Amino acid sequence: MSNPLADMEKPDVIFAIGTNMTECHPVAATRLKRALTDGATMVVVDPRKTRLAKMAHLHLPIRVGSDVALLLAMAHVIQRDGLIDESFIAERTADSEAFLSHIRQFTPEWAAEICEVPAEDIERAGKLYGRGNPSAIYYTLGITEHICGVDNVQSLCNLALMTGNLGLEGGGINPMRGQNNIQGAGDCGAVPANFPGFQPCDNPDNAAKFAKLYGRDSIDPERGITKVTALNEAGKSIHAMLIDGENTVVTDPDKNHCEHALKSLDHLVVIDIFLTETGQLADVVLPATAWGETDGVQANTERRVQRLRKAVEPWGEAKPDWWIVSEIAKRMGTPGFEYESAKDVFNELCELSPIYAGLDWDRIDEGKYHWPVPDKEHPGTPRLHEGEFKNGMKGLFKVIGYRDPAEVISDDFPLWLTTGRRLEAYHSRTQTGRSAGLEYLLSEESLEVHPDDADSLGLVHGGMAKMASARGEIEIQVKVTDKSPKGTVFTSFSFANVPVNILTGSGYDPVTQTAELKVCPVRVTPVA
Amino acid sequence: MSRESNQALIERWKDEPAPLLPLLHAFHNRDGYLSDDAIKAVSEGLRIPLAELFGTVTFYHHFSREAPGKAAPRVCTGNICCLHGGDDLLESLKDKGATPMPCAGRCDDMIPVIIGDKAYVGLDKDSLEHRATPVPAPNPGGSTECLFAHIREEGRNTLTGYRATGGYSALKRTLKDSTPESLIKLITDSKLAGRGGAGFPTGMKWKAVADAPGDPKAIVCNADEGEPGCFKDRAIMDHDPFALIEGMTLASFATGAPLGFIYLRYEYPETERLLEDAIEDARASGLIGENILSSGHTFHLYVRRGAGAYICGEEGSLLNSLEGKHPFPRNKPPFPVTHGYNDKPTAVNNVETLASVPHIVENGAEWYRDLGEGDHAGTKLISLSGDIQRPGNYEVPIGLPLSTLLYEWAGGPKEGRTVQAVTMAGLSGGFIAGEDLNITLDEPSIRSKGSFLGAGGIMVLDDSRDMVKAAHDAMSFFAHESCGKCFPCRIGTQRMTERLGGEANTLEPSAWIAEIEDIGSTMMSTSACGLGMAAPHVTKSLMKYFPEQVEAFLAKG
Amino acid sequence: MTEHRSDLVEQKLSTLTLDGKLVEFTKGETIYEIANRHRKEVPTLCYDERLEAFGACRLCVVEVEGIRKPVASCTTAATDGMVIKTSTETIEKHRKTLLELVASENRNVDVNALSGYSSQEMTILVDRYSARTGRFSGKQSGTSNTGDKNPFILRDYDNCISCYRCVRVCAEREGDYAINVMNRGFHTQIITEFNNDLRDSNCTFCGQCVQTCPTGALGDKKALRDADTEGEIKKTRTICPYCGVGCSVDMLSKGDKIVGIQPAMDGPANEGALCIKGQYAFDFIQNDDRLAKPLVRRDDGELHECEWDEALDRAAEGFKKVKDQYGRHAVYGIASGRAPHEAAYTMQKYIRATYGTNYIDNCSRS
Repeated sequence: MSNPLADMEKPDVIFAIGTNMTECHPVAATRLKRALTDGATMVVVDPRKTRLAKMAHLHLPIRVGSDVALLLAMAHVIQRDGLIDESFIAERTADSEAFLSHIRQFTPEWAAEICEVPAEDIERAGKLYGRGNPSAIYYTLGITEHICGVDNVQSLCNLALMTGNLGLEGGGINPMRGQNNIQGAGDCGAVPANFPGFQPCDNPDNAAKFAKLYGRDSIDPERGITKVTALNEAGKSIHAMLIDGENTVVTDPDKNHCEHALKSLDHLVVIDIFLTETGQLADVVLPATAWGETDGVQANTERRVQRLRKAVEPWGEAKPDWWIVSEIAKRMGTPGFEYESAKDVFNELCELSPIYAGLDWDRIDEGKYHWPVPDKEHPGTPRLHEGEFKNGMKGLFKVIGYRDPAEVISDDFPLWLTTGRRLEAYHSRTQTGRSAGLEYLLSEESLEVHPDDADSLGLVHGGMAKMASARGEIEIQVKVTDKSPKGTVFTSFSFANVPVNILTGSGYDPVTQTAELKVCPVRVTPVA
Repeated sequence: MSRESNQALIERWKDEPAPLLPLLHAFHNRDGYLSDDAIKAVSEGLRIPLAELFGTVTFYHHFSREAPGKAAPRVCTGNICCLHGGDDLLESLKDKGATPMPCAGRCDDMIPVIIGDKAYVGLDKDSLEHRATPVPAPNPGGSTECLFAHIREEGRNTLTGYRATGGYSALKRTLKDSTPESLIKLITDSKLAGRGGAGFPTGMKWKAVADAPGDPKAIVCNADEGEPGCFKDRAIMDHDPFALIEGMTLASFATGAPLGFIYLRYEYPETERLLEDAIEDARASGLIGENILSSGHTFHLYVRRGAGAYICGEEGSLLNSLEGKHPFPRNKPPFPVTHGYNDKPTAVNNVETLASVPHIVENGAEWYRDLGEGDHAGTKLISLSGDIQRPGNYEVPIGLPLSTLLYEWAGGPKEGRTVQAVTMAGLSGGFIAGEDLNITLDEPSIRSKGSFLGAGGIMVLDDSRDMVKAAHDAMSFFAHESCGKCFPCRIGTQRMTERLGGEANTLEPSAWIAEIEDIGSTMMSTSACGLGMAAPHVTKSLMKYFPEQVEAFLAKG
Repeated sequence: MTEHRSDLVEQKLSTLTLDGKLVEFTKGETIYEIANRHRKEVPTLCYDERLEAFGACRLCVVEVEGIRKPVASCTTAATDGMVIKTSTETIEKHRKTLLELVASENRNVDVNALSGYSSQEMTILVDRYSARTGRFSGKQSGTSNTGDKNPFILRDYDNCISCYRCVRVCAEREGDYAINVMNRGFHTQIITEFNNDLRDSNCTFCGQCVQTCPTGALGDKKALRDADTEGEIKKTRTICPYCGVGCSVDMLSKGDKIVGIQPAMDGPANEGALCIKGQYAFDFIQNDDRLAKPLVRRDDGELHECEWDEALDRAAEGFKKVKDQYGRHAVYGIASGRAPHEAAYTMQKYIRATYGTNYIDNCSRS
């Protein structure tokens, strides 16, 4: 997030797109609810009538995957009505001319055709966002899990840049991170493009620096391949994997492909707290400590660096992840893994990462710091882009066009399937499924179908249905509800007996290789 | 008439000011009760959270949640009506689904029974008749009247009749020749003070509203005459409604408020229609609404009917009720003059106060001041009821001796009886008895005896009455009406009622008395609003004047 | 920073006299806040600093010179020059009477501390004021809702004192408006719409009502399963393991058993808020399904438990073999978005330091 969570109580206009926040980030959503109580106006863009959408002053149930068209038309309205921030554009951005002339053609009427919502509503959304003082954008995977995920994000950036809604209290562009430490995984360099602290791998100086620090002659001065590519290469160029705490088989798209990939490896080592579906394919499974059993650090969605603390002794012989990885490394003869505690590991990270340079284990005790914290005197950075962008650079407008999802509905697959989470379950339910009581509220998965679709397809509430995509077929119980719009069905990926990711995986964003989990054409038929 | 749909009702009300109560009444009228379906529809239509709305509906005594609901008789079992056999009448109507209701403000007549939107009176179920509010008797003392000066004149409650008897000349003159500042000065000079009981100087209140920032400002007339033994506002509204409307219009001019409400208690169904018609007539004649009498001044006035909650006579609760919120009192400060209806500056005035205004404008500040006895300014309406020859509403000069009112004006106690005690401020002032009956009817005199005049309800209890029972009935009323927000009142009124009802007579008398005293003292000092602060006047005065009755009661074990 | 300082100079501090001492305050502060800052220990039962002051319990009344009756300190804004006494004989007597009254309407004054974060507040005050006198006995208020079978929130309204902290936290902090108050006076009762079960209401089981309840009338059913488990309750401050908001919590344990979770009221990301997962989905940790020992796949094709050394050796051997056979670009690492920094850091270091590649990623793409 560009802005701290506390800022969520301060926007004038809230623009929430592709985020089912009350279910996925409930505590963050309470802040938006308070902003609404204090008089903020909210626009929600979501195909589904979520709880957040019900609270909105304007809800745009756009067709899945049509976000770019909507955002182009909103930009069009903002420019047409003179709601752009001229001085912000002049002082802090570049490439605005091309963008501003590009958007002249994308009228609300044009977008209405694609998004399947009234042009007046698009018009209103543009005016509300453009007039908000400030306006804040919130988004989640509903924006990124598309083949055009990067285009979506950049379209949102364009909106914020043209209206000067960056670096302001209560404004900004705020992606909500879905996992407790997904931010931290990136911070720590567990990505193919960056060393710790987002130091690019394709910078030879960085590569040389880390080679020296890590006791090697060299490290490849280029980006590594992504996980998606690695899975595609399994059994071809990739022959061994070390997977820490991820149930790849269930949560990744195209389950059959994924399972096949892992099976083709010569060697698979999985570190986890349970024997997951992925662990069952491994050669070695190593038991890790769980929450409450080990000390550590995690960074939240607002870049706040906080301490985890050990409360009880580990289950059985479980060991901290860092200990397990270090023991493997030592056995591989790799130097530099003589850690005695999580503190040792974290302090080493701080030394190597410029954004953590001002931090150490003791300083983060109270969780007061948001990175970047470049030195020990620095108070931390709750709000990014205040006064200037990183290193004094200009905010760049990007010229983006709309394109269809990887697969579009057809006679064979006439419905859009979109997937997501539910409040009472988390991911593959390795944790929530094992916590007493949650089943009282959510005991099984179901497919949310609009009443009109149910009628025309002959589906009944509580009955079973077959749902098929180009990749596979599953059976699922039907829930008839107007929460889903006509023509779109929804389910979560949390229940193993409803492996919805057998169906998904139609395409990937070319830049990030994030899968298009939010759009998948399907056919739904009743099971007699 | 065909049954209107949920949607039609919601559409009719949702964009009106203060829509919740009228919308709930619309459903209540349509179905006779508020079904789950109705509550859900209102919740969605007005965007009020369902649980909150449900809680609010259950707060009001008169909203039924099931059939026969509104069609079932509600029988007054107020303190006076019980003296007349209210409990027996209730019992005799049980087969029709009758339920009790607290004092319905008709103590100058027989026992009121409300069925649907009609109030009947009678002493037994066969003699119930629907009839108008009694007109005040001619002033027995021959003193100059203000409020009742024209009330007995034929047709005074029609616009034509009102105008024929001098009505609306005050407004005409003010709009033509006066300024808000000079009107406020006139009212200030008259020393008119709040006649609902609080006694705050009206001119000062209006000035505070006029000076406070925030728009639109509002004038709210407190017509939730819920104090047992008070029925004076009903007489004004039924027989001189235009005096109130003209008074409110003048108040709106003084304060710059374009918006006004009359918050009327549920138990006056006929009055609601009468006021609605009167406002409509005034509007048709350009006396209310946009650009009144082409003066440029605008004032829109709405009647909102309560649903049975004494606490809604407390101004904070009243405002919350109007706004569709749970009718708990508000914490003060801030006061309504800066943060009232919708948090905007608001003058909340009693019916009597507002209806005095046209007379004061007409006759001058000095005239009004001189109506009181000695140094006291103005008049006060007293609702006199109970064990007295001639119960009714009397307009007395402030400072009139109580004995003059009781014996000379109202004929004294019933044949062969003596006055044992009177209540003050309805029930809120507790009892006055013995030598203290020598008081004069003004706050300094009454307060010197530990009580207060309040809204001016006085109930007479003769020597046949059991004073512990009278205290118990009074405290049951307060317990029934306690809103439940603040601890001392919520628990205290309950514990006092239990003790006065004989439920704690196992206690040693000294312990019983200590508990009553401790509860009373803590309630008076720490309660959040006037209800809890006033209720212990009942026990305090009981112990003060009738220790031997208390002793006998406790001795019964 | 300099700008900030000049603000302070311009914004003149006001002063008042608190128990005979001149103290400073800023405009808008209530008497309670000032007294609290000066550790006056003004008692209260309806106050939760995260909520709008409500003024129900009246325990926090204080004397203010020039005002005839005591005022509720929580709802009264301080004004310049006020002279306040927070504890006089009269005030203390009222407080004791109020506590005796409150104690008289409840079935239990003592409740298990696992009930919730604030559950001991009433017990502590009743004891501080020696108010277990049995005075004012009479009818009890509130009716427990034993019919609501939800596994999380105990609704034991026999112990309810109608402070409405639950109702207010649900509305003001959580924004769910799931509960409210039915009836009035002594008959008030906390309910959902139509007095249904919580599951059929707008309730999201965030547990906020439980944690703010000062009497244990609302209790944490999951934690109370361990009411009779041996051992002191230990609280360990940590961060919730679910979404990216990073809510601070206190993990409650007795010995080595995790028994419950309480929100950290001073948690910077959540300020005391939690959701159903953070509040109640903790017992996966000590679930019998947990891996207790390493597993290796033996010749029979099955996974078997083994000692750490064997497992780590097998893991390393496999990587060596692949590296030797296919080169250093044949090994790939996937780090977790769920594990702590130290896991991700060592994972990437393992790949980069061992193989000299950037063949490392995490699960953010799924």
